Amino acid sequence: MMDELAEDDDLTAAELALGLLEGDALSEARARVGREPAFARALVAWEARLSHMAQDLAAEDPPAAAKAALMARLFPEPAPVPLWRRAWPWQLASVAAIAVASLLFFTTGPTPQEGPLYTAEIAAEAGDFRVVALVDKSRDEVILTRTLGAAPEGRILQVWAHGPGEPAQSVGLWPAGESVRLPLPTEIAAVEGVLTLGVSEEPPGGSTTGSPSGRVFGTVEIPGVTAAR
Amino acid sequence: MADPAADRARVEEMIARVALQDRAAFSDLYDATCGKLFAVCLRVSGRRQDAEDAMQDAYVKVWRNAGRYAVTGHSPMTWLITIARNTAIDRLRARRDHDDLGDVDGTLAAPGATPEQAAVATSEAERIRDCMNALPEDRRAAISGAYLEGQTYADLATRFDVPLNTMRTWLRRGLIALRECLAR
Repeated sequence: MMDELAEDDDLTAAELALGLLEGDALSEARARVGREPAFARALVAWEARLSHMAQDLAAEDPPAAAKAALMARLFPEPAPVPLWRRAWPWQLASVAAIAVASLLFFTTGPTPQEGPLYTAEIAAEAGDFRVVALVDKSRDEVILTRTLGAAPEGRILQVWAHGPGEPAQSVGLWPAGESVRLPLPTEIAAVEGVLTLGVSEEPPGGSTTGSPSGRVFGTVEIPGVTAAR
Repeated sequence: MADPAADRARVEEMIARVALQDRAAFSDLYDATCGKLFAVCLRVSGRRQDAEDAMQDAYVKVWRNAGRYAVTGHSPMTWLITIARNTAIDRLRARRDHDDLGDVDGTLAAPGATPEQAAVATSEAERIRDCMNALPEDRRAAISGAYLEGQTYADLATRFDVPLNTMRTWLRRGLIALRECLAR
C-alpha cells in the first residue's frame, strides 16, 4: 500500500491526521482524500497508527450526567412534524415515487398517516441512494422500490427494522431488482408507534452477524404505526 | 477485555446497530466505550467540562455517521478514538483562539497513561509505545504534542525554540522512523 504513494505524500497524509496542515495545504489534502483512494488509505493507516497513543490512555469514567445530557440532546421528546416537512422529500423523489406518493396521499390522507398503508423514503446522506418504502399493515409486509443507486457490484441489499427501544433485526434480503416485497417478521409486525426501517449493502446471502456488516445507506422513522384492524 | 477479538466484534456489532438508529445499541455502545473516549477527550482538553462537551459532540457524530463506519477501513476503537480526538482538538483550538494566549500550558496537565495504568493495553498499543520510546526525545514530544495536545508547527517551533522549517523536518523524520519501526 505504501509504495503506491510517494514518501512525501504519505507524510502529508500523516500531517493531515495530526492536524498540522493549515490553509491551502489543508484544503488540498482534504480534497485528495475524496479523490485519491491511495491517499485516503494512507490517512486511515496514519490515523490507526497514531490512535494507539490514545488507546494507551487509562479509561476514565465520565460523570453519569454526561450520558443523560447526550441522550436528551439526541433524543428529545418527539414534536409533531408539520405536513410540509413530511411532504418535501417527495418533491425531490423520482417521477415514479411522486406518482406513488400522490396515490397514497389520496388513499391515506394527510399526516399523521393512518394505517393500513404507511409510506416513507430512505435516502443516503451522501445523495447516492434512495428507496421508497410502503408498509402495508393489512398484509404485514413492506414493499421497497429503488429510485436511485444500487448495491455495489457483487453485493446485495438487506432490509432492517425495529420498534422504539427495540433491537434492530433483519426483515429480509433484496438480492436483485428494482423492487422487493418482504413479509414483516412477527416482532416487526407487532410494533406500535415509531417503526424504523433501514437498508444496508451486504455480501450475497446477507449479513452473517445478525447486524449490518456493510454500509448502511440510511434509515427512516415512520411514526404512528398501529396494528391492522 | 479478556479477548480483544471478541471485544472488537462486539463493538463492531453495536456500531452496525447504531447505524440502524437503534437507540438501545447506542446506549450499550456508549457504556462500553465512554471510559476510553472520555480519557481521550480529557487528555486533549485538560479540563473536565471541556472534555465532557467534546465527548458529547463526538458521540453525536458517532450516532449520525455510524452508517459510514464500515467503509472507513478502521477497527471500531480506532474509528471511535479518531472521532473523539479530532473533535476534542477542534474544540481545544477554538478555545485557544478564543482565549487568545490564555494559560494554554497550565491547562494541558491532564492525566496521561503511565505504563502501570495501561496494564490492559493491546499488543499494538505496546508496539507503538515501544516505537515512540525508540525515537529521540524531542521528536517523540513533538509527535505526541501534535496528536494529543493539538499543537501546530508554530506551537512546536516555539516550544523547542527552533525555526518552523526545522521543526517540520524533525517531525517528518520522526514520523518516518515511527512508520518504519511499526512496519518491522
